[in-house]
Amino acid sequence: MSFLADADQQRALTVSRKSERLINLTIALLATKRYITKSEIFKSVEGYEGSAESKERMFERDKDDLRSLGIEIEVGSFDPLFNDEAGYRIKQESYQLDLGAITTLEVSLLSLAAKAWQGASLNDAAQRALVKLSSLGFPLDEANLPGSIPSISNSEFDITVVTRAIAERQVLEFLYRGHDLSSESRRVVPIGLSTRSGFWYFTGVDQAVQEIRTFRFDRVLEGFNVHKGPKDFEIPEGFEASQVFESDAASVAIIDIRKGKCNSLRALATSTKSIGEWDQIQIPILDVKTLSALVLWHGEDAYVHAPEELRMQIVESLKALVGNHG
Amino acid sequence: MAKNESRKNANPLERAARLLDLVPYINTHQGIPLSELAEAFEVSTEQMVSDLTTLWMCGLPGYTPLELMDLEFESGYVTIRNAPTLAKPRSITHEEGVALVLGLDLLRSTISSDRTDLLAAIDVLAKRIAELVNLPSALSALSHIDQGIVSSIQSAISDRGGLSITYHALYKDEITSREVLPVEVIESQGYSYLHAYCFTAEDFRHFRLDRIQSAKFIQVEKPSRASASSAEKTNFELRVVESSRDVAERFERMDVQAGSTFSGSSFSRHWIERSVLASGGAVELLSPTEIRSEVARRAGLMLNRYSD
Repeated sequence: MSFLADADQQRALTVSRKSERLINLTIALLATKRYITKSEIFKSVEGYEGSAESKERMFERDKDDLRSLGIEIEVGSFDPLFNDEAGYRIKQESYQLDLGAITTLEVSLLSLAAKAWQGASLNDAAQRALVKLSSLGFPLDEANLPGSIPSISNSEFDITVVTRAIAERQVLEFLYRGHDLSSESRRVVPIGLSTRSGFWYFTGVDQAVQEIRTFRFDRVLEGFNVHKGPKDFEIPEGFEASQVFESDAASVAIIDIRKGKCNSLRALATSTKSIGEWDQIQIPILDVKTLSALVLWHGEDAYVHAPEELRMQIVESLKALVGNHG
Repeated sequence: MAKNESRKNANPLERAARLLDLVPYINTHQGIPLSELAEAFEVSTEQMVSDLTTLWMCGLPGYTPLELMDLEFESGYVTIRNAPTLAKPRSITHEEGVALVLGLDLLRSTISSDRTDLLAAIDVLAKRIAELVNLPSALSALSHIDQGIVSSIQSAISDRGGLSITYHALYKDEITSREVLPVEVIESQGYSYLHAYCFTAEDFRHFRLDRIQSAKFIQVEKPSRASASSAEKTNFELRVVESSRDVAERFERMDVQAGSTFSGSSFSRHWIERSVLASGGAVELLSPTEIRSEVARRAGLMLNRYSD
């Protein structure tokens, strides 16, 4: 046996021992009804060896490790009269997956949902979830299920930084590429995350203006700095992530488009009326500049009647185009 | 895979997580073949044997045979007894919950509105999972791809059959019918594309899935040796008049400074022309001159209409 193989084997053994100790600790803390103390753990749980100090260090590390796996360890005193030594336990209720009364169809739907991540950023997490769901022991209800699910688009950004901030009501600080390509510094309490047409977006309350804004991940210039959120932060009433891309009917554009043309505009229309060789459509306005660019892309096949703000933006662009190219 | 494998061996924490998840899985899959179990946990069979060997030595303090798990896998089939403490699957983590909620929302967007049973079930589930990981109804994913079209493409690929598709060609802004022989579906920069031989163009083409409006099965002949007629690219040169994010993203140049010039090329002259129009004066097209004068002519026509 070569020296290298020996070293490898040694390492594998250390890994084994450590995992084994973590499992034994979990079992012991789960099985106990009362809090058990550190000295009881060192005495009874297999794997705690060496000096008092090294056992102590081992235990502290193990606790942190289990917590990082999402296992909640409760600290308390098993005897309120002699609370000189802290005790530990893991509650079955917090350890176990509790989906309430769940049906075969529901487990099947969740399993299908997990498959959307194939090849995308959260695939490992989705796979682990799938294993847990499968461990519930339900057969799959294939007869009632849709046959397939599209893939979720990959994100090169860690979207869980944002979802954690949503859950913890934290402030995200970041530099954002503005309309004029300058980098703007933003402080946002995120409240929603969404993906549309291959892009990822997050929505939040911009702390500078206290208004809801939506940001595209690929326009965030460097990473996020995460800070503690403002006290008493409340998600604005009626907010729904799925409606971020639907504006209120207050601003609607009225546009004539040539029949058989302007398919990208047509796809956004909320109503269509036929007038001879043209169709008149209505499009809710999310952003005047973006819509103006999309109208211009279609050239003479699109003509805007209203609102005046959009017409002015277009006329200004056309003047600049003629000026640049004439 | 090999790299992934060694990572899975070396990290004791990841291994501990896997061991914890193994117990409830075996518990509801008694007698599962060793190889199948390894596959479910995405590890090699050797790794799985090593995992099970470690698990075999775990149990309640005392660690007599009475307190240890009763794990049997020497026959190549895995069974477990006496593991009540770990018998239930662990609660889901934040990441897992996020993955499920977004997956559910995507699934929702592909289900037709008459399946109210499925839609209602998805809503209930999404809410329950979101609560478990402390997320309000804040995550949303939407698919613009028609699932009927996806399944037509999938069966055409597996049957090596042809499809008649209607396709929205974005740059020409035309909806065309084409006969194609699908080869594969590929993912690129967040979009799915159908790679297919197109009988209309007599060459291989990529079609963005969300722009395919319908797909019908047809009989096709095998293409007679693909003609290698490579389309020609058109070079263009632009001057930046006003630096803007819109221009930077449209032309995929993040370094655009007002006054600077840059060049590029495209397979589509329509794309060049429309992109300049959509930039609305933020760029000046220097060449090709034919497209430049076309831009000027069309912008002038449109301006006249708005001044009426």
